[in-house]
Amino acid sequence: MTDEPVTLTIDGKEITVPAQTLIIRAAEQLGIEIPRFCDHPFLEPAGACRQCYVEIEGQPKLATSCTVRVAPGMVVRTQETSELAREAQVANLEFLLLNHPLDCPVCDRGGECPLQDQALAFGPGESRYREAKRVYEKPIPLSPLVNLDRERCVLCARCTRFCDEISGDRFIELFERGAGERVSIAAGEDFRSPFSGNTIQICPVGALTSETYRFVARPFDLTSADGVCPHCSAGCNLRVDVRRGQVVRHLARDNAEVNDAWTCDKGRFAFRYPDDPARITTPLLRDRGLEPASFGEVLGWVADRCVGSRVAFLTGGRLLDEDYYALSKLARTVVGTNDLDHRRHEGGAVEVWAASRPMSVAYADVERAPAVLVVGLDAEQEVPILHLRLRKAARKGARITVVHPRRTRLHDVAAHVLCRPGEEASLLREAVRGAGPLASVVEELGAAGGAGVVLAGERCSSAGAEAALALARTAGARFGYVVRRANDRGALRAGVHPRLLPGGRAVDDPAGRAALAPLWGDALPSTPGRGRRAILEAAAAGELDVLFLIGIDPLTDLPDGALARRALENVPVKVVQSLELGDLEPFADAFLPAAAPVEKAGHVTTWEGRRQRVEPVRGPVGLSRPDWEILAGLAAAMGGDLGFETLDQLDAELERVLEAGLGTPDAGAVEPFVGPDPRGGEEAPTAADPGSLLLFTYPLLVDEGRLSARADELKAALQDPAFVEVHPDDAARLGLAEGAAALVTTEAGRAEVPVRLNEHLAPGTAFVPFNNPGLVAGTLLAGSFWIPAGLEPATVSRAREASA
Amino acid sequence: MALAFERRLTRHWGDPEVVGLDGYLARGGYEGLRRAVSMTPEEIVEAVKASGLRGRGGAGFPTGMKWGFVPRDTGKPTYVVVNFDESEPGTCNNRELVEREPHRLLEGTAIAALAIGCTTAFIYVRGEYLWQALVLERAIREAYGGGFLGPRIAGSDRTVDIVVHRGAGAYICGEETALLNSLEGLRGQPRLRPPFPAVEGLYACPTVVNNVETLMNVPDIIVRGPEWFRELGTDKSPGTKMVTISGKVERPGNYEVPLGTPFRTVLEELAGGVLGGRALKAWTPGGSSTPLLTAEHVDIPLDYESLAAAGSMLGTAAIMVMDETDCIVDAAARMVRFYAVESCGKCTPCREGGWWATRVLDRLEAGFGRADDLPVVRDLGRNILFRAFCALADGTASVITSSLRHFADEYEEHVRLGRCPLGVPHLEEVAS
Ligand SMILES: Cc1cc2nc3c(=O)[nH]c(=O)nc-3n(C[C@H](O)[C@H](O)[C@H](O)COP(=O)(O)O)c2cc1C
Ligand code: SF4
Ligand code: SF4
Ligand code: SF4
Ligand code: FES
Repeated sequence: MTDEPVTLTIDGKEITVPAQTLIIRAAEQLGIEIPRFCDHPFLEPAGACRQCYVEIEGQPKLATSCTVRVAPGMVVRTQETSELAREAQVANLEFLLLNHPLDCPVCDRGGECPLQDQALAFGPGESRYREAKRVYEKPIPLSPLVNLDRERCVLCARCTRFCDEISGDRFIELFERGAGERVSIAAGEDFRSPFSGNTIQICPVGALTSETYRFVARPFDLTSADGVCPHCSAGCNLRVDVRRGQVVRHLARDNAEVNDAWTCDKGRFAFRYPDDPARITTPLLRDRGLEPASFGEVLGWVADRCVGSRVAFLTGGRLLDEDYYALSKLARTVVGTNDLDHRRHEGGAVEVWAASRPMSVAYADVERAPAVLVVGLDAEQEVPILHLRLRKAARKGARITVVHPRRTRLHDVAAHVLCRPGEEASLLREAVRGAGPLASVVEELGAAGGAGVVLAGERCSSAGAEAALALARTAGARFGYVVRRANDRGALRAGVHPRLLPGGRAVDDPAGRAALAPLWGDALPSTPGRGRRAILEAAAAGELDVLFLIGIDPLTDLPDGALARRALENVPVKVVQSLELGDLEPFADAFLPAAAPVEKAGHVTTWEGRRQRVEPVRGPVGLSRPDWEILAGLAAAMGGDLGFETLDQLDAELERVLEAGLGTPDAGAVEPFVGPDPRGGEEAPTAADPGSLLLFTYPLLVDEGRLSARADELKAALQDPAFVEVHPDDAARLGLAEGAAALVTTEAGRAEVPVRLNEHLAPGTAFVPFNNPGLVAGTLLAGSFWIPAGLEPATVSRAREASA
Repeated sequence: MALAFERRLTRHWGDPEVVGLDGYLARGGYEGLRRAVSMTPEEIVEAVKASGLRGRGGAGFPTGMKWGFVPRDTGKPTYVVVNFDESEPGTCNNRELVEREPHRLLEGTAIAALAIGCTTAFIYVRGEYLWQALVLERAIREAYGGGFLGPRIAGSDRTVDIVVHRGAGAYICGEETALLNSLEGLRGQPRLRPPFPAVEGLYACPTVVNNVETLMNVPDIIVRGPEWFRELGTDKSPGTKMVTISGKVERPGNYEVPLGTPFRTVLEELAGGVLGGRALKAWTPGGSSTPLLTAEHVDIPLDYESLAAAGSMLGTAAIMVMDETDCIVDAAARMVRFYAVESCGKCTPCREGGWWATRVLDRLEAGFGRADDLPVVRDLGRNILFRAFCALADGTASVITSSLRHFADEYEEHVRLGRCPLGVPHLEEVAS
């Protein structure tokens, strides 16, 4: 097999394409669309529907263009120039319609259905079929999200191939044979895959439909825009559909560089948050009982309290690049502070890497890598599309090793090394010395000749992430730092960080400040500021005047529940800029209504560092405004000037800062630094008390996060109430049983949750989801995402309390 | 022409001793394997190539060439898979071959294994063939005991294990790639080719799939040589072929004949002529999937080339004979029903076309045909033939097109009269 490009002729037009190209793809490049149902560019060829016939000169039979690869000098005639091919396609369509119910008027796919389109374009006007049609009960739910109408199914096997080839979650399968063949699921099973919604989108008919879109709209009712998913750093390209002002659907947009043709179910089904009744779209001011006020009034009030005061900013991870940049500049140039942070986790020196080196690993690099080491990341739950890319790499033969305290859903394609949280750093350092369970992985990565990939999740701690970077350098592998939230990477790049200016320059590096001076002036604060934990501590200690919270609720989003509460109680002025108030209602002194992601133009940065443009699908609701505009307004109200009045101006400046290299340090500058939060760099304590386990936590994909508000079907499909996972050996020792309640006690708090046994959990540890119904894990934590915890059966503790 | 030749595959038939290992050995059994262990794989492949042996499973592909395609340097194991799914209507010679002389299959399989460097071979047995699977299991136990299977076969340093796997009752699992899926525990649906099994077959390893009868020819080729093998049959279709003749004949059964023997000889000399001396109306030369022939074709020699020239195929050489009292529409309806029911469902023309054809043909036979049904039936044949994913659907199409080609009048009669002109009772399923 040679890789020489191949020249062939299709409908009389010559084209040269890479060897191995399928005829159907080559035809596409010429703008010739061959009808198809089972073919999908991101699935393996199936040749099942037989719709894509073409004539190939010299071959006695018609060929299916989705299965036959090009050959030099091949002469292909599609339906455009071959009567035979056209007739065969028409005949096949007649076959497909025999048993089809043609209930288009009540089908969600009507108006955007390949079968309907083709039947209209060249199907016979009247059916020659006089017999009874095959009937099935319809529709049947495969899960709370996905409905199946077997009468409409053309048995193209796209859905089942997706589950087999792409997600590996093989819940649905074709059952029976002949005309009785149908998509089905094992009795009593749910289609419980976080990627189930993709099957709906790729179904070429209305056989798989979405519970959330059932009878909701027709395509001509919809206004659409190109968005990027606001949930995680995978950066899935979405089409956002709005009907009469309400967001009604998210679809994946194809982008082979990022999400191929997929999204996870959260990105697809958690779309109602912008229209949540809890959303507040007018500015509010406490001085008259948290009542509506004008923007000017609230900004003036806030500005007065900020001028000359001790102000700190905390943000979430889902603002746009432009918003982060505006904040970074406001804090440094107008308020004059480095007390700003967006992070939930600290990556130490690796943050400098991430802030300064976009695209050190891209999806394509993961896909091509012969060997991948994944540390401190549960990709399926945290960055699901990266999980799919890792699976794709595995299909292509990559050897994948995952170092994580809990076995991940890559288990069927990757080796797992279970380690205690915080133990990553020592394991990785040991591997660099050629010892320990990962020594062979370093060899594999080395053998990959620069194509190996090391991915460090944000949860490995700064020591772990730095050790992973060092390992990657030793092995000559590419290194990527994987943050979780949709724009954590953009925040890092923009310098929403107590030590880093945009592009990763340290605030205490005069050269870095000087580089920014033409745009930011030369009076930037030069001492490193306080990070998240230190800001909260300062607030709790009464050392701050104003705590400015943008898109974050420190009570639930951070591992400092109790401290956050004290902080809110002890800082005089709390400003909240967000979609809603939620738990912060009792604390907020001023509220600034922010526009939702679907209402803003700008950019988001994927975990890779890729900046992607988003377009608004509707204008900001009510008086809400894009965050950057609010911040620019505040700057003006404080007598400052951020230097941009339009998004275009802001983008031009941001691009200059990020892309023209301004503020980007050279390679040698990546030196370890001690994170401002001492716990960030620390290795996990080993539990001294044999009765205690090392409790760790991270958010599962479908949790109680605010952007999942009202995603009820999604939660019904994929969310469980809170639980605590324990290794069976530990459970036996502690008297804990599957399903029975355990009392979990830490220095910060206590909670009662049901036990789940997991033999694929590092012994000596216990896992709780960060924010599933029934437990806000932050209340058990004291600043870091792991903590020693005592576990005992709840019955025992209750008995003890009763007797006391 | 009087049929006189030295029988090969059936030479021990009727001798109950040969079912067991001792009887088989006493009659020269495993001599081929003894010789094969001292040959190089290339020598074995060359011998089979030189013999001109062609696959007996239906397609007639040259066996030696198939073995020669197996790459030897992949670092993966190779597999021999014996196709004993035998489910084509009218076909039951594999079954009798195995029942009467199971060791010959084991010997042929082991030689094939040596030829492609395989250490584990599988015999995929039709689900309904429980007894035959037990016969094989027993023979395999004996062969292990006798040192003809397992480690160091026939005193050599070579290992060949044979595993029997029973199917679950699907015709499509006789198609070699569906068979491999089924063997792997997957759905019995054909795989896309390329890659061909010789390159990526069972568990994505190089694999040879051969029919039972094909492999049972191999021991003699090794012992007596390719030239001997070519003494019977024609130049392009050498050797003998098992023919299963059934339907309206006096003596239905399995007969071994040299390839190229005219159908008339088989019908008259072996099967004793059409039942009750009635007139021959139609016959399938190679199972119901091969286009029907008529009394006109009675002198056709039964070999691959002659039947292809007559617009049909040798297939499995399963001859089903219909006489003047048989209704073609009824026969077509029954045969098409078989392919519709056995369609694996993967591709549209077979799944939907078979469903449609069954319904229209049933209706025609039941007397509810309409004039505009005939163009539909004709189109169905044309729109299914060579359009489907695998050759199963060509069976559906062949029945339709060949019955219409030769018996269009009879179809029209059904429509005109509103009943079967021959008074053949229509299918129960339609009546109820
Ligand atoms: C629908 C279908 C059913 C088949 N069934 C059988 C079968 O039962 N036995 C068989 O040997 N070959 C069967 N074949 C042919 C096999 O695919 C394959 O060609 C054969 O096993 C190769 O062996 P040979 O070269 O020894 O003939 C079938 C083919 C098709 C398309
Ligand atoms: S449900 Fe849709 S995607 Fe799945 S096989 Fe049927 S038509 Fe194809
Ligand atoms: S993988 Fe991430 S970006 Fe993609 S849809 Fe899911 S949450 Fe959104
Ligand atoms: S022709 Fe198609 S549906 Fe029929 S058996 Fe073959 S693959 Fe299955
Ligand atoms: S698109 Fe080619 S066979 Fe279905």
